[in-house]
Amino acid sequence: MNGELNQEGAQALPHAQCSESIDYEITVEYLPASHPFHKSYEGNETVATVRADAMTFFHVSDHRDRDTHQFFLEFDGRRLTDMAETLRQLLGRRHGAKFNLVEQITPGAIRNE
Amino acid sequence: MSNPYPHISRWIVSSDCLGATLKGVQECGQGVREAGAFWLGVREEVSRIVAVVLPCGKGIQAGPGSWKVGPEVFGVITRWAKPLGLSLLAVAHTHLHGIPARLSRADREYSVQVPGVLAVVIGDGGSEEDHTKWGWYVYESEEYRNIIPEELSREIEIGSGKVEVLSADADGFWS
Repeated sequence: MNGELNQEGAQALPHAQCSESIDYEITVEYLPASHPFHKSYEGNETVATVRADAMTFFHVSDHRDRDTHQFFLEFDGRRLTDMAETLRQLLGRRHGAKFNLVEQITPGAIRNE
Repeated sequence: MSNPYPHISRWIVSSDCLGATLKGVQECGQGVREAGAFWLGVREEVSRIVAVVLPCGKGIQAGPGSWKVGPEVFGVITRWAKPLGLSLLAVAHTHLHGIPARLSRADREYSVQVPGVLAVVIGDGGSEEDHTKWGWYVYESEEYRNIIPEELSREIEIGSGKVEVLSADADGFWS
């Protein structure tokens, strides 16, 4: 196959197939779940879309009360905070990626009752 | 869409797991701040805890009335557990001396909220060795249900067997 290896050693698409319509096979793992979320996306889809779809699949949601409980996607050990970033911008020639859905709890004035 | 949370009717927790958890939370909390452990295993109808991960250090915020595990630590544990087919089955944490071993409002609202996950509260800063005096809860129907002592032996089996014990922070694992 006339392709390239990406940074993780995965097979990239051949040059001829690196077009605007490139699909990205995305897998998202969530620690409490028994199996991951899988979906194909076009390159112009954003991190926000993947995060929202994964959260729907895993039946979790952000909420804010006395504290903020927020979910993030993590990729290569890095939390993805730019929700507008497209998959093409993030992944380039990779045609698949594994993300983790992780939770952030921002401390407030929490006391045990 | 497939269900990522298959039903769990019974959990098998070894005495090795209980002992490793107590030792870990005592060492990390030192009786002056809360500490905790993640219990992992293969999620299935009868789920056995096979690994105890003790978050402590960088990425964990702990005080006398709270214990918080940051997303970087969740990520570290996820990257280790998922290739092994393990899922988070329970979050155990301590309450200090004088605070009941019951889930607080904060515990209920800011812990993991998915069906079948256990929340375990160990009293007396992790010095309470009698697990029947701990608080045992399972998340179902969008809230934590207290597993009362009369139901405990039916839902939680204290078995034998070794568990893997690791400590974790935002930078990785150590034994």
